[in-house]
Amino acid sequence: MSSFQQYQAEFTAHIRDPKAAARPAGVPARRMKVYTEIVFNNMEATLSACFPVARKVLGVRRWTRLVRAFFAQHRCATPWFRQIPEEFLRWLEPAPDAASSYLYSLAHYEWVELALTLSDAPVPPHDPDGDLLAGVPLLSPALMLLRYDWPVQRISPRFKPLQPLAEPVHLLVFRDAGDQVRFVEINQVSARLLGQLQAGGISGAAALKVVADDKLLHPEPAAILQYGAALLADLRRQGAIIGVRCD
Amino acid sequence: MNASRLSGAGLGLKRELMSQLQAAPSSVIDFFEVAPENWIGVGGARAKQFAWFAERYPIVAHGLSLSLGGPDALDEVLLQRIKGFLDQHRIPLYTEHLAYCSAGGHLYDLLPIPATEEAVKHVAARIRRTQDILERRIAVENASCYVASPVSDMSEVDFIRAVLQEADCDLHLDVNNIYVNSVNFGFDPFEFLRALPGERTVYIHTAGHLRAAPDLIIDNHGDSVIDPVWELLDEAYRLFGVAPTLLERDLNIPPLAELVPEVERIAALQLKYVAATSLRRHA
Repeated sequence: MSSFQQYQAEFTAHIRDPKAAARPAGVPARRMKVYTEIVFNNMEATLSACFPVARKVLGVRRWTRLVRAFFAQHRCATPWFRQIPEEFLRWLEPAPDAASSYLYSLAHYEWVELALTLSDAPVPPHDPDGDLLAGVPLLSPALMLLRYDWPVQRISPRFKPLQPLAEPVHLLVFRDAGDQVRFVEINQVSARLLGQLQAGGISGAAALKVVADDKLLHPEPAAILQYGAALLADLRRQGAIIGVRCD
Repeated sequence: MNASRLSGAGLGLKRELMSQLQAAPSSVIDFFEVAPENWIGVGGARAKQFAWFAERYPIVAHGLSLSLGGPDALDEVLLQRIKGFLDQHRIPLYTEHLAYCSAGGHLYDLLPIPATEEAVKHVAARIRRTQDILERRIAVENASCYVASPVSDMSEVDFIRAVLQEADCDLHLDVNNIYVNSVNFGFDPFEFLRALPGERTVYIHTAGHLRAAPDLIIDNHGDSVIDPVWELLDEAYRLFGVAPTLLERDLNIPPLAELVPEVERIAALQLKYVAATSLRRHA
């Protein structure tokens, strides 16, 4: 490593973690502080903009400590500013055996809105008015089917759940034709149906049949087939289904 | 599409201003500038809004994430995406900072490169590689900073000259950055300007800043341009000739009506020198 790069390594190590890494020799403290503050504040502002509820629920002091720890420990690989929240989520993701807490789920839920607002997933060729039962329904390309063990959509400084839900909550989140991101709480039957459609290549009728065949989901499978057509039509009306695939 | 010609006075395209600019387009603004990192790979309403501008105005891409002076490997994946973006929107100019923003991962801010012989070679090689990948010349901007690297073995202006010469790239001249550094490090900004390789100037930035202390300016682009910076711009035109010039405003963004007079002032200054040049030509 060249000497100028050795200096850069010390300079950036101090910015990332001013308490653990000394500033480079010969650099005045007051000027160095300009960098440690600007760079951290920038990062904090980006994350606060994406995670306003997490920040409020934790309180400013705990939130700032969390962002400090992220900044010191994590190395962001993405050159895209909009993906900084994704880097934060990756760092925040609990180990599989970690004690259950809603923070990661809440942060993920908050990030979904940003991700779908900015998604540039291409729209495949489709017929917006096609037959949803005979044809293959096409979901909005900016869509996520989510399952949380915490009531993420209700968490606030005044509601901090202590226990995970007995039954997970299913959320359908998608960008509609007017480019608005919509959040819809859905039941298990709808979630299963949308899961089939998301996997793709299956007609609306076949997807409904799969759901109806799952005895655990519904006591009366025939009812699913009956109201299934209306359910598909409603998803199209809302913009979660954009039509029928044509290829 | 009129993106092939870049001239006159421009404004940084901020999301806070886009709706105002669409509702009442200003005849004073000849072009806009964006950070490509904020628009590449973005879909939805924002992409449509950007397309509105790209179809009507020349766009300059002023990058933030390339880290020309950084120790991490040059991000060639990023460069390929930038190339696609420049081609897609027929962007006539891409510039980056003579700075770095990553070292073992991104820090998302511009940090000062120590001015050493080794650094000159390192940065120049990365600029050359960038120009090869993009298949065009790029311009590199003199950056503002707050810390003089104790390991530097040459002056900032000598460093800029050496990098631009060794890389054979253009200069993106930022007159506000010269002023900021002249206060932060106590030198004469006009002398600095005169020492720059003015013949390489293809693009100019001007901006306001925050005076944090008598000897410290924070370059936050959060205020209107101060008179000494206007004087530097005037002197730059006199010395090097007129180049397309942009007003940067990134913080405390006022209504458009407050920014337009500053863009007009750039245009008026340009007219003064363009008129003088054509008079000399006809004499």
